[in-house]
Amino acid sequence: MIPETIREVHDAFDSGVLTPLFLTEAYLTRIAESRHNAYLTVCAESARARASDWTRRLQDEFGGKVPRSSHPLYGIPLGIKDVLVTEGIRTTCASRILENYLPPYTATAVAKLEAAGAITLGKLNLDEFAMGSSNENSAFGPVLHPTHPDRVPGGSSGGSGTAVAAGLCFAALGTDTGGSIRLPASFCGIVGLKPTYGRISRYGQIAFASSLDQIGPMTRTVEDAARIAEVMAGVDPMDSTTASVAVGDWSGAASAGCKNAPLRIGVPKEYFIDGIDAPVRAAIDSAIEGMKARGATVVPVSLPHTEHAVSTYYVIAVSEASSNLSRFDGVRFGVRPPEAIQAKSPAEYYKKVRANFGPEVKRRIILGTFALSSGYYDAYYQKAARVRRLMREDFEKAFETCDVIVSPVSPTTAFKLGEKSKNPLQMYLTDIFTIPASMAGLPAMSVPVGSDQNGLSIGIHLIAPRFQEEVLLSAAREFEKGART
Amino acid sequence: MSDVNEALIRKLAELSRLELEDSEIAGYVKSIGDILGHVDQLRSVDTRGVEPMLYGIDEDLRLREDVVMDFGLDANGRPRILSSAPETIDGGFKVPPILG
Repeated sequence: MIPETIREVHDAFDSGVLTPLFLTEAYLTRIAESRHNAYLTVCAESARARASDWTRRLQDEFGGKVPRSSHPLYGIPLGIKDVLVTEGIRTTCASRILENYLPPYTATAVAKLEAAGAITLGKLNLDEFAMGSSNENSAFGPVLHPTHPDRVPGGSSGGSGTAVAAGLCFAALGTDTGGSIRLPASFCGIVGLKPTYGRISRYGQIAFASSLDQIGPMTRTVEDAARIAEVMAGVDPMDSTTASVAVGDWSGAASAGCKNAPLRIGVPKEYFIDGIDAPVRAAIDSAIEGMKARGATVVPVSLPHTEHAVSTYYVIAVSEASSNLSRFDGVRFGVRPPEAIQAKSPAEYYKKVRANFGPEVKRRIILGTFALSSGYYDAYYQKAARVRRLMREDFEKAFETCDVIVSPVSPTTAFKLGEKSKNPLQMYLTDIFTIPASMAGLPAMSVPVGSDQNGLSIGIHLIAPRFQEEVLLSAAREFEKGART
Repeated sequence: MSDVNEALIRKLAELSRLELEDSEIAGYVKSIGDILGHVDQLRSVDTRGVEPMLYGIDEDLRLREDVVMDFGLDANGRPRILSSAPETIDGGFKVPPILG
């Protein structure tokens, strides 16, 4: 039986009932037996080598006691979304265009986790280039939901969601551009944290939409999400957008919960609309009622531009994507098919190389090219960027009267494979509640608070002001406690 | 809004250096038409005097020293930066000939 939290794992290492090597072997066995398609690459050898190293050093160097302050993630086996580069380990973005890519360096976030003692088990499946809400857009096949194999795990960090929920890693890294951590966390019944934009270095995160992308942990508990995130957070000279705002005691906040003044929970009227499934609505209402019973106050707030969130996002994100993905030209890395080598002109060469993009990626590049093209730039890209600022101002106003804002993560629970994949617009609308926090750069998370009549998980979505991760995590801890009693 | 038709999709694909099969075009006309139809609701928002928010941060970007970063050699003794290059020549990236 694997302990539930990092704290308990470390206690088990101390007492000798568990070793880093035993724990890693347990996960490698489960991965080998799994049929979820959660992993694209398993690093069994390097994981074993690191795990046996940590096992030996625990006795030889640390006197049998886990060095918790210098190595807060000592011996913790993690899965890494395959959009983060790892030196010498294949990194694909779930795309044919990168199927053979061996990066020359490791993403800062991953390097920090490994320096803190974490063990990389392998690279997790995703929607190609993190573009999708169901993980059906992977070039290497969809990931299956952890408990309902006819359903999607959510996306784009679907491999991460399923791997954590199905016990194929202790915790995972995801990335979130418009909800790609929070949605799969909700569908899979785990915790997902998207920190404030700028908290965690994006160096080595293969870019989708650079003004929105953010790395974050996906875990079984709020406290572990805090523990992993605080290791990754901080200024990185290699990412000029990392914020020089001090990182507080996130894991302390997450374990303590709200101890001071009663929490003021903002409930935006625009988020509680028709179209939310009844069980989702009931679970969120009951979680809020539970918090009220324990002293929280509920404050009605308004985020008037919410109805424009999906439109704004699908202009800005695709515009940035069409620019970012121009780097895939088959010159320095990636696949160069034989027909590209035979090409008669550079334009033909690029087209033959870029034929390796999947259909959703091509759709977004085309849309982004449209929004940035002369004649449309002002009406689409600039317009969306102005609405984006209004959305951010909505939040600033709302946070004058509340500490956190809550909503469902998604209007529905995990849907069936194929249910929305033929209708991109329907798929995009899945992210209606997660996109606004992304547009405003706010920290947000998903915490499981219930399930529907089919046993499918329901997550509550919490949003806090910029750089207020401590508030977010302590509130999340309270909701977690409420859901477990 | 602009009419999304086959000609527009072909033009955008050309600008994006994407080659679309004839069989793909109709699907993109439909889905991109639907999406832009939805996006057109943005026109109803009054954004007069609103500064576009183009970045995720308010702070100025920090600059770092412009220094060469050496990724070292791979197991075959080649510069690691070349280890995923589709083709290399004389320690550099090789591209197909551009002129005849």
